[in-house]
Amino acid sequence: MRRLLFGPIAGLLFVATTPPAIANGNISFTEIEKAAILSHGPWPPKFRPDPSNRVSGKKSAVTFGRELFRSRFLSRSRRHSCLTCHNPDLAYADGLTRSSAIATVDRNAIALANLRLNRWYGWDGSSDNLWAQSIRPILDPREMNATAGLVAERIRSDVPFSRGYKNVFDSNPKSDDNQKILVNLGKALAAFQETIVTPPSRFDEFRSALENNNLKKIGRYPLAAKRGLKTFIGKGKCNLCHLGPNFTNGEFDDAGVRYFKASGGVDKGRYGGIQNLKKSPYTLLGKFNDNPKNAPGIATQHVARSHQSWGQFRVPSLRNISKTAPFMHDGSVPTLRDVVRHYSELNEERLHLDGSGLLRRLNLSEREISDLVAFLKTL
Amino acid sequence: MRKIIAVYIAGAALMGFSSPGMTADRPLIDAHIHYSHDAWEGLPPAKAIELLRKTGLKRAFVSSSSDKGTQLLYKEAPDLIVPVLRPYRKRGELGSWMHDNTVIQLLESRLAKYKYAGIGEFHAYGDDVETKVLRSVISLAKKYGIFLHSHSDAAVIHGIFKQNPEARVLWAHSGFTDPGEIRVMLKKYRNLWADLAFREDHAMDGKVDKAWRALFEEFPNRFMIGTDTFAPERWFYVIEHATWSRGWLNDLPNDLAAKIAWRNALTLSDWALKKKSVKN
Repeated sequence: MRRLLFGPIAGLLFVATTPPAIANGNISFTEIEKAAILSHGPWPPKFRPDPSNRVSGKKSAVTFGRELFRSRFLSRSRRHSCLTCHNPDLAYADGLTRSSAIATVDRNAIALANLRLNRWYGWDGSSDNLWAQSIRPILDPREMNATAGLVAERIRSDVPFSRGYKNVFDSNPKSDDNQKILVNLGKALAAFQETIVTPPSRFDEFRSALENNNLKKIGRYPLAAKRGLKTFIGKGKCNLCHLGPNFTNGEFDDAGVRYFKASGGVDKGRYGGIQNLKKSPYTLLGKFNDNPKNAPGIATQHVARSHQSWGQFRVPSLRNISKTAPFMHDGSVPTLRDVVRHYSELNEERLHLDGSGLLRRLNLSEREISDLVAFLKTL
Repeated sequence: MRKIIAVYIAGAALMGFSSPGMTADRPLIDAHIHYSHDAWEGLPPAKAIELLRKTGLKRAFVSSSSDKGTQLLYKEAPDLIVPVLRPYRKRGELGSWMHDNTVIQLLESRLAKYKYAGIGEFHAYGDDVETKVLRSVISLAKKYGIFLHSHSDAAVIHGIFKQNPEARVLWAHSGFTDPGEIRVMLKKYRNLWADLAFREDHAMDGKVDKAWRALFEEFPNRFMIGTDTFAPERWFYVIEHATWSRGWLNDLPNDLAAKIAWRNALTLSDWALKKKSVKN
């Protein structure tokens, strides 16, 4: 529930007028509130293929990517797969504080859903596209500990996977070099992950009812959730960072959470992410981008480290949030109630308010905390 | 924890030597360090001092919530630490301290007991400067001949000099204001210095911004650098920040760079600590 001075939404919120309220059971919303609520939809968004990935949206790539996602074939030991940390039964997260494959990593597994809407990937935005983000765990010694050479050789020597590769990429892995194969596998994995989209939620039903002024359906939305929604877009101003249909601005912020690593030192967050991004060969600025004209990577070109980016982490989407505990970049906050309480009791001195000006302690009542949790559970 | 610190120190040292544009041996004084309770809990004084020395600092202006952190560091390295007295007992008082009259007695007792170069970094805005507590702070700084490290808007700076025209003030973050207003303030008050902590509009990619360059050239004796370790994890940023600072300082004439890098801060701290100052 981070707050960011985001022009259009902020404008909607702070217009100093008092238009007539729209009654919804015992809760009423002003026209300004209604506009803020409607900005969180419609859902789901129309799928648009990723121009940087020529197999994005391609059926055969989705199928091949799904097989790769499930297979332990990409890990050096053949003991781990993407499912190790991204279990569909756990909303494609793992329920752990910090994820663990070969070794425990420094961060909580981000639930995989609605990924096509991202600009940056990972808690620190080390990747500017999903196929690069899919390559990262394959190469990480703590996760799959593979190399381009290892996965390429396995693809070349495995008949079903080799066939799948040829089918998707219209290319023989025996004639493709290791890097090309690795990137193509990333693109197939991305094609599959792009299909993981959260279904319309109770909030979406309410939003739609509000849009259509369907009082009967509006009345079905729990009162506590309505009150929580009012706090979300009002006193809490949570929607200044958690905005739009995916409830995130997609950028980075310091949420006042400690960022020491269990393994020692600190997690540099976005600062390290930009360092990684700038040296990665797998960005939109690199040779593996299939369509630089339509995916030119302008943001990647211009993004720069700042003092503020030290210890910042990506603002997560709130969709499906009730299924993705624990929370924050290091999983240090166990429950949704704890998350809301964190912002309610925020230690402002941990933040540099003059430098960023994003967050303030919310000082919520117990009732307001409960209501916000009730609202979040409907997402 | 020892292992954690060792990993950190090693990592930080590597970062410091791997960045381009660095004059590794350029001395620096970091005028904006905090060592609050959650910092010393994770980074004991000896390790904190080791880090500051690895950074290549000649001095570090340190203030803490509570003051215990500053005293711990000063005891460990009196040659390195310039102690500054923060009027906060703990985190979370930056918006309320000026309305808490017990702060006055706290400051009086600490000033009587320990040596300080300044009072601050404190946060104050607008009319805060007229509160009894702020008035006492200004008065105590005058009594002890030490500077004020003020995180504030221009109104508070005006108010300080109105109450004591001879005050010496270090304006934290240069007031987070633009070069134009900073110029007005520096012209108006000859005893006003400005730190550049937690701002980067003055330099990008190792190049000093044109407007800031003109300001530095006009007031070569008035600026200094600082990291601002406002959260304990920011201690891990001190070396990185020093590397960044050395990068843009290299874009200035050497004499001007040296003044901003350390000479101006040394002049101020030596005045406050009643040492013989270098010629500026």
